[in-house]
Amino acid sequence: MSVIDILTRVDAICKKYDKYDVEKQRGDGSNIAGDDAFARLYSSVEADIEAALQKAELATQEKNRAAAVAMNAEIRRSKARLLEEVPKLQRLALKKVKGLSKEELAARNDLVIALPERIQSIPDGTSNGTKQTGGWTASASRPEIRFDTTPDGKFDSEYFQQTEESNKFKQEFEMRKMNQASICFRFVNLADQGLDAIAEGLDTLKNMAHDMNEELDRQVPLIDEIDTKVDRANADLKNTNVRLKDTVNQLRSSRNFCIDIILLCIILGIAAYLYKGLVLIYLLGSFVLIALDFG
Amino acid sequence: MASSNPDKLMSKGDKLTKLSFTRWSADWKAATGFYEQAAIGFRMKKDNEKAKEAFEKASKGQEMISSPWDAAKHMESAAALAKELSRWNEVSDHYRKASELYMECGRSQPASDALAKGASSLEDVEPKEAIRLYNDAILILEEDGKEQMAFDLYRAATSLYVKLEKYVDAANFLLRWGVAADKCNAVNSQCKAYLSAILVYLYAHDFAQAQKCYNDCTQIDAFLNSDQNRCASKLFSAYREGDVEEIKHIAQSSPISHLDHVIIKLARKLPTGDLEGLKAEASDEQQEALDEDDLT
Repeated sequence: MSVIDILTRVDAICKKYDKYDVEKQRGDGSNIAGDDAFARLYSSVEADIEAALQKAELATQEKNRAAAVAMNAEIRRSKARLLEEVPKLQRLALKKVKGLSKEELAARNDLVIALPERIQSIPDGTSNGTKQTGGWTASASRPEIRFDTTPDGKFDSEYFQQTEESNKFKQEFEMRKMNQASICFRFVNLADQGLDAIAEGLDTLKNMAHDMNEELDRQVPLIDEIDTKVDRANADLKNTNVRLKDTVNQLRSSRNFCIDIILLCIILGIAAYLYKGLVLIYLLGSFVLIALDFG
Repeated sequence: MASSNPDKLMSKGDKLTKLSFTRWSADWKAATGFYEQAAIGFRMKKDNEKAKEAFEKASKGQEMISSPWDAAKHMESAAALAKELSRWNEVSDHYRKASELYMECGRSQPASDALAKGASSLEDVEPKEAIRLYNDAILILEEDGKEQMAFDLYRAATSLYVKLEKYVDAANFLLRWGVAADKCNAVNSQCKAYLSAILVYLYAHDFAQAQKCYNDCTQIDAFLNSDQNRCASKLFSAYREGDVEEIKHIAQSSPISHLDHVIIKLARKLPTGDLEGLKAEASDEQQEALDEDDLT
């Protein structure tokens, strides 16, 4: 059945041209936890925040002022976009999804609440100081301190010295808790990605197997028919062969015999009549003829 | 004799068959031989008109000497040549005649094949006739209990209906396909046919009909326990919530990607039309229920 051939060939061609498929590249991010819209969106927002932070780091290291300004403008734009996504995420966080415990639901809510602060804290070259002081005294958690990079390292230490130390421990604890949640999320997302790929492959295999099953079912009666017809043809052929062999044998024996005798007599007669001296040679010739006839 | 002029062969054949004073009965056997050779000669010379006539006469000759199989074969060749000449009603007539001759031999498969060939040649020019031919081909096979072979015909007819944008007819055909699949226990094809029917109704933006179709299909156990059923229910809940993203996501999912490519194209274009209208309908129904409660 050429359906399978077509499927595999189309897959090969699609894979070849995947790099030109802009939608797919964009859609790769949404593969994680396919069913769960919240996890999808959250992971995409996370990815965007990471990208913005990296860009911020590059901007601080950038020597060229114009380039730095351009980067900061881009960061500001992406921050605005991310802030727009937060209300959507909040709605999804409140939605009940299958297989999600109450604690996880609450945790999701917290994560969403923590997001706006994280987004705001992405340094974009504007006067960070005033904004952050206002933010710190009001908010309960400190999402801007990261494990890997501290784009405004100097800031942090200064402000830690200035603000109350009792807050510092509570904030650090909450930030660590959130980081852990995001790391877990990332591991789970990776595993989910792998499992999703396997699931997709299995689905295709299952479908192909079903189609093959039905196709074979279709072929069975046809082959039975062919079987009977071929058996009949085989028997007919055998019959015909045997009869043919008999006929050929019959023809050979009777015909050869008569012809041989007639030829022999004629030749001997002619030889004896015409060439009295060369009788022996002609006798020999006739014997050769007989041998040829029998052979 | 084989290499002589096809026209001469034709005239020889005609002479043998024309009844006149000197000839009281036609010698169809020899005449058929002449006609066949003439037809082959004309076809090699690419003289389609004369080749077609020769094939028609050869077919008649074969009929006269009671060999419907050869007659049917010649009729099919004549029909193919008529297609080259764009004589569409002749194409249809010849293929039907060939099919009848095959039925005379008692062979339903070639009969249905002949009609299917006719339908595929007429798909672009006379779609209604093509649909009729497909229908007749399917009926022939179903009468003979060979529903398995009819699947390709169902698929072709459905894609033709979708091309003509007759979605209700297409959905009907898909349901018939489901019934045929049921008879030969082809569960996978049956579920796929039902899912395709639901998708076609949704594409035609006939939500009520799609819902009815879905309810009917869930009466069937085989469909109820299948992947396609789950996919359909997810699709309906997405429609009720008016979630366009979700609908698009489901359309990319695996049960739908394994359907026929014509249906996949429709699915990727979902949702058509206004989802808000559907949401309003659904919420209206709920509100009405509440009002009744209030009264009591």
